[in-house]
Amino acid sequence: MLLPKFDFHEPATIAEACQMMAEFGSEARLIAGGTDLMVNMKHKVISPNHVVSLSRIDDLKKLDLSDSTVKIGACFTVAEITESEEIGKKLSALRTGARALGSPLVRNRATIGGNLGTARPAADLPPSLMVYDAKVVLTKSSGEREVSLDSFFKGPGVTEIQPDEILTEIRVDVPPPHAGAGYINLGIRQAQDCNLVNVASYIALDGPDGTIQSARVVMGCVGPTHLRASSAEKLLIGEKPSDELFEKAGEAAMGDCTPIDDFRGSAQYKKAMVGVLTKRTLGIALKEAKDRG
Amino acid sequence: MKKLINLTINDKEYEVAVEPNQTLTDVIRYDIGLTGTKKGCETGDCGSCTVIMDGKPVNSCLVLAMQAAGRNITTIEGLETEDGLDPVQEAFVEKGAVQCGFCTSGMILSAKTLLDRNPNPNEAEIRSAISGNLCRCTGYQKIVEAVESVNK
Repeated sequence: MLLPKFDFHEPATIAEACQMMAEFGSEARLIAGGTDLMVNMKHKVISPNHVVSLSRIDDLKKLDLSDSTVKIGACFTVAEITESEEIGKKLSALRTGARALGSPLVRNRATIGGNLGTARPAADLPPSLMVYDAKVVLTKSSGEREVSLDSFFKGPGVTEIQPDEILTEIRVDVPPPHAGAGYINLGIRQAQDCNLVNVASYIALDGPDGTIQSARVVMGCVGPTHLRASSAEKLLIGEKPSDELFEKAGEAAMGDCTPIDDFRGSAQYKKAMVGVLTKRTLGIALKEAKDRG
Repeated sequence: MKKLINLTINDKEYEVAVEPNQTLTDVIRYDIGLTGTKKGCETGDCGSCTVIMDGKPVNSCLVLAMQAAGRNITTIEGLETEDGLDPVQEAFVEKGAVQCGFCTSGMILSAKTLLDRNPNPNEAEIRSAISGNLCRCTGYQKIVEAVESVNK
């Protein structure tokens, strides 16, 4: 399987990479782990004239942890997320998502920035990052901007990133005490599989046995982008957590998604699974919220 | 345009002229001549092209040769020493974990990386570590038994 012909560039700094993207624009594609781009280039879905590699830029591989925020460089690998105890403690659902992605071989190459930038509606990292209200930093030569993941995804493979911009960092506020999150992905196999449905949920309680102060539920594979289950979220806020409430939230989430029939499963089945996974991830979130109290 | 890169493969330095669109698999097989690294799906699904790069097993079909410049690479040919086969290779032979052999290089390299980190893995850990390596003879049971037996 041959790759198309292209010029290859390996900038050593973010500034140098930005200059290249400003010069080449949409003629260029960024490569990090290559686990998505290489496959698309081999299948001739994408034939860029220039491939700009981010793998030699050390600034993009940093993990910067403070008590209040987690900043993850775009080239931090998925395997590194699974191995980070700090991420596991502060953002457990993100680590669950990372563990579910691909295979060990893929996780050693795939990066967090790549998993967001490729914007696959079935991707494993966006749901948990979205429920944590993560933001991405988009950098170009003239400066940088911070974009909420809520408005980052525009459609399958389409994001807010402009041709002269590079996704350089992911920023997440550490959840407050009495908050927790959960992520579940459903597929046919446990490894090397595209998800059938994936859901992440987050709740923050106003005290150890308190009511739900804020809630976010994000569903994957059931729309052109990852979707917020707004009516489920509305229903949860201000209520005391319970199995019955989570069941109702699951039913509400089923109304918030727009799955299609495909070879992986019927729309009806995916919708039903959104209900089940919403309920179960809320259960995980509640358990963590109580443990973290 | 071709560019000269340096690759360290099995502790040996190589200087190779590569095209930007050559994968690490192709350079290892066709330029270096080490054909133990196999080409299966070529899209990162089967793991037959597994090599260890800077201590981590990766799909070499998804790595551009130029991205591997300066990195330390181990292929299946790098495991055997003057004393003979690597204990993981030995275990695969002993336990009958090799059928057609096409997945074996990748399986052994994934298993070796696991054992270097965790000398006595349980069955679940072994199955998870080799989950990116597909055996279409479906001889997984023998493979798991071989890995389990290495440090016993």
